[in-house]
Amino acid sequence: MGIPISIFYFIYLIFVLIFLAFTFFNVYHLVRFGFLTIGNIVIVCFYIAISFLILVISWGYIGQIDWTATIPIIPTLNF
Amino acid sequence: MLKFHIPHHLKGEKIIILLRRHPFIILIKIIFWAFVAILPPIFYLILGDELAKIFSNELLSPLVVLFTSLCYLYIWLFAFHSFVDYYLDVWIVTTERIINIEQKGLFARTVSEQKIYRIQDVTSELKGFFSTLLDFGTVYIQTAAEKERFIFKQVPAPYKVARKITKIVEKNKKFHRLKEQKDKITTK
Repeated sequence: MGIPISIFYFIYLIFVLIFLAFTFFNVYHLVRFGFLTIGNIVIVCFYIAISFLILVISWGYIGQIDWTATIPIIPTLNF
Repeated sequence: MLKFHIPHHLKGEKIIILLRRHPFIILIKIIFWAFVAILPPIFYLILGDELAKIFSNELLSPLVVLFTSLCYLYIWLFAFHSFVDYYLDVWIVTTERIINIEQKGLFARTVSEQKIYRIQDVTSELKGFFSTLLDFGTVYIQTAAEKERFIFKQVPAPYKVARKITKIVEKNKKFHRLKEQKDKITTK
C-alpha cells in the first residue's frame, strides 16, 4: 500500500492553473489600463513566449516520469 | 503631444506631464528576480553530489522536476507582475487636472484627481544615495482640499517636475481669474 506519485502531478497542475489565471489578470491589466504601444505588445508577447517555453521544457521532463509509481507508507521489512 | 488613456477626459484637455517611477526602480526588481532565478543552478553547483543522489532516486526526482518547474514559472510571473505594477503607476498633469493612478496588487486600483487651480504648494524631495546620483525623488503637491496631498513617488528629475507644475498652476490660475472677470462683466 502506498501514495501514488500522480497526486503530486495533480497538485502541480493546480499551481499551473493558478499561474495561468494570474498571467491572464496581469495581461488584462496591461492591455485594459496601459497604453497599447509597440513596446507594451512586445513585452506581453515576450512574457507569453517565455512562459510557454518554461511549460514546454517542463513537459519534456514530466513526460519521462512514470506516474503510476507509488510511495510506500509501510516500509517493507527484509528478514 | 503625450497620449494616454485618462479617465473622464475633459473637452480640450491636454496631457502636459506623464510620469512613472524612475527606470532604476524596475531595474532593481528585475535584478532581484534574476538573482532568485540563478539560485537553483548555484545550489546545484554547490551540492552537486548530494543532488545527484536525489535525482537518481525514483521517487524524489519527479518531485524535484515539478518543484523546479513551478519555481521558474512563479519567478517569471512575479517578475512580470513587478513590471505591470511599475507600468500602471502613473501620475498625469494635464492643462486642467492632476491625476494619480496607482495599481495596488492585481485587484485594487486607485484613481484620484484634483483641479490644477486648487494646487497651493509644490515641494520636491531628493533623499538617499541613488536618488541623488540618478536624480529621482518625490514631489509633494498640496491642494486646497482637505484631502491628503498628492505624492509623485520616485519620479525622475523631481525639481524640474515641481517647477513645471508650479508654472502650469500659475498659468491656470491666471486663466481662471480672467475668466471670472469676464463672467462678472457679462452678468453686469
